[in-house]
Amino acid sequence: MSEPLQGFGLGLRTEHYREFATAPQAVDWLEVISENYLVPGGKPLHYLDRIRRDYPMVMHGVSLSIGGSDALDASYLRQLRALVDRVQPAWVSDHLCWTGTSSLNLHDLLPLPYTEASLEHLLPRVAQAQDALAQPLLLENVSSYVRYRADEMSEWEFIRELVRRTGCELLLDVNNVYVSSVNHGFDPRVFIDAMPPGAVRQIHLAGHEDHGGYLIDTHDHPVCAAVWDLYAHTVGRFGQVPTMIERDDHIPPLDRLVAELDTARSLAQQTVAANRQAA
Amino acid sequence: MSTLAALQERFQKAVLLDDPTPGLFAAEGEELESGLAVYLQAYRARLTAALRDNYPVLQRALGDEAFDLLARAYLDEHPSHFRSIRWFGDSLAEFLAAAPEHLPHPALVDLARMEWAMRTAFDAADATLLGVGELVALPPEEWPQRHFKPVPSLQLLDLTWRVEPIWKDLNADAEAIGDEPLPWPHVLLIWRSDLDCRWRSADACEAALLRALTRVASFADCCTLIAESGDPEPAQTAAGFLQCWVAEGLLAQD
Repeated sequence: MSEPLQGFGLGLRTEHYREFATAPQAVDWLEVISENYLVPGGKPLHYLDRIRRDYPMVMHGVSLSIGGSDALDASYLRQLRALVDRVQPAWVSDHLCWTGTSSLNLHDLLPLPYTEASLEHLLPRVAQAQDALAQPLLLENVSSYVRYRADEMSEWEFIRELVRRTGCELLLDVNNVYVSSVNHGFDPRVFIDAMPPGAVRQIHLAGHEDHGGYLIDTHDHPVCAAVWDLYAHTVGRFGQVPTMIERDDHIPPLDRLVAELDTARSLAQQTVAANRQAA
Repeated sequence: MSTLAALQERFQKAVLLDDPTPGLFAAEGEELESGLAVYLQAYRARLTAALRDNYPVLQRALGDEAFDLLARAYLDEHPSHFRSIRWFGDSLAEFLAAAPEHLPHPALVDLARMEWAMRTAFDAADATLLGVGELVALPPEEWPQRHFKPVPSLQLLDLTWRVEPIWKDLNADAEAIGDEPLPWPHVLLIWRSDLDCRWRSADACEAALLRALTRVASFADCCTLIAESGDPEPAQTAAGFLQCWVAEGLLAQD
């Protein structure tokens, strides 16, 4: 596969294609949404190939439905594998969720019940996806707005057990941890601290909307102070893990996102330095 | 059915029918309603936005309220089976043709067909274009059996209304108010040359030739088609079309 990934990245969005294609940007790597490039040709693949020449990339999917009760979509996996061959990403990620059942796709990241049965359901599917893609799959924790009566354990216990049994790695979305912690009333640091350190390969940061009693993971705002604090705590625990900012709506000019990324960079460096001093 | 599958069926049904399902979730009452409402609203908002992305000019022609109602009706009948949301809306023109009450004017079915074809051409397979030089360098004896291949993005639409002016006006200006479309049965060509989509109308002869080329007709076959229309110089006419198509980026190399 490609070179090891380090540093601070952004999600590649069409609004910024030209800037990435025409001038160097202060961004170490880019994450691309896999589904946006599962097309025969045209502008999306043109810019993908052009920008890939200058930036390391990771692929991030939204439709694997690793927790879905339908069989994994073999045609989708084949297309994803072809894109892996084209992009040569450092890794591929998707979400620890389900997106629909009975052949439908709700195009949402729906939470799983945190049960032993769900864990058993996931084990062969993670292996099947990794085999089909011929590389490790990172799974991301999602934001959630409901919990099931059927839950037998907390989300962090579920993830920790999944990592133990499958050896899969994690894309830790710090904003999602925060959003779910407010929505369900738990301490987000307990979640972060429960993650197995060696398993966290990538970190997502993003903004959300505050609806009074609950938060919605909208990716349309800058990262808020509480999430920055939680990020510093995360870096304190796991060190400098490749980190990026996701923005999917109200997309600002690139320089503003780069400036926000610099905040992440400074915060991570300060935290690591402070930890060294303390040690 | 496993417990997990049953849970997912119930959750999905709640989202599709916009109807909270009792007994599935830990919370009850207001807390459940606000949590579940996030999924119910996000589903419709996301799919409506995807339809808007695929049909931006139709959305402008209808306005926000009518388009959102249309999106809701379409979504209820055609929930997404796609891995990528980019393909959502593939049956909208057929849906509209069968349910014209969603439209203030029947010509908008043709506008929907035009927009979907543009969307399809946008990310259709790439091709290396046939150049004038290759056409000129072709030895005369090879012309009759030579197959000329249209670019993969080329689509020929049989339209019954003159909708191109609406598309052009509303694409340039969201507030444009154009004239009422007129009936005009014709063929619209839509294709992508390099990275940009193009379109123009074609007469019956040209459309028949391009359709023949997509079925791997030879230059001689094209000449026969032209001759059938009473043209006394079919080879010259066919060569004229070829020159035009090459100039417009309509033909691909083998």
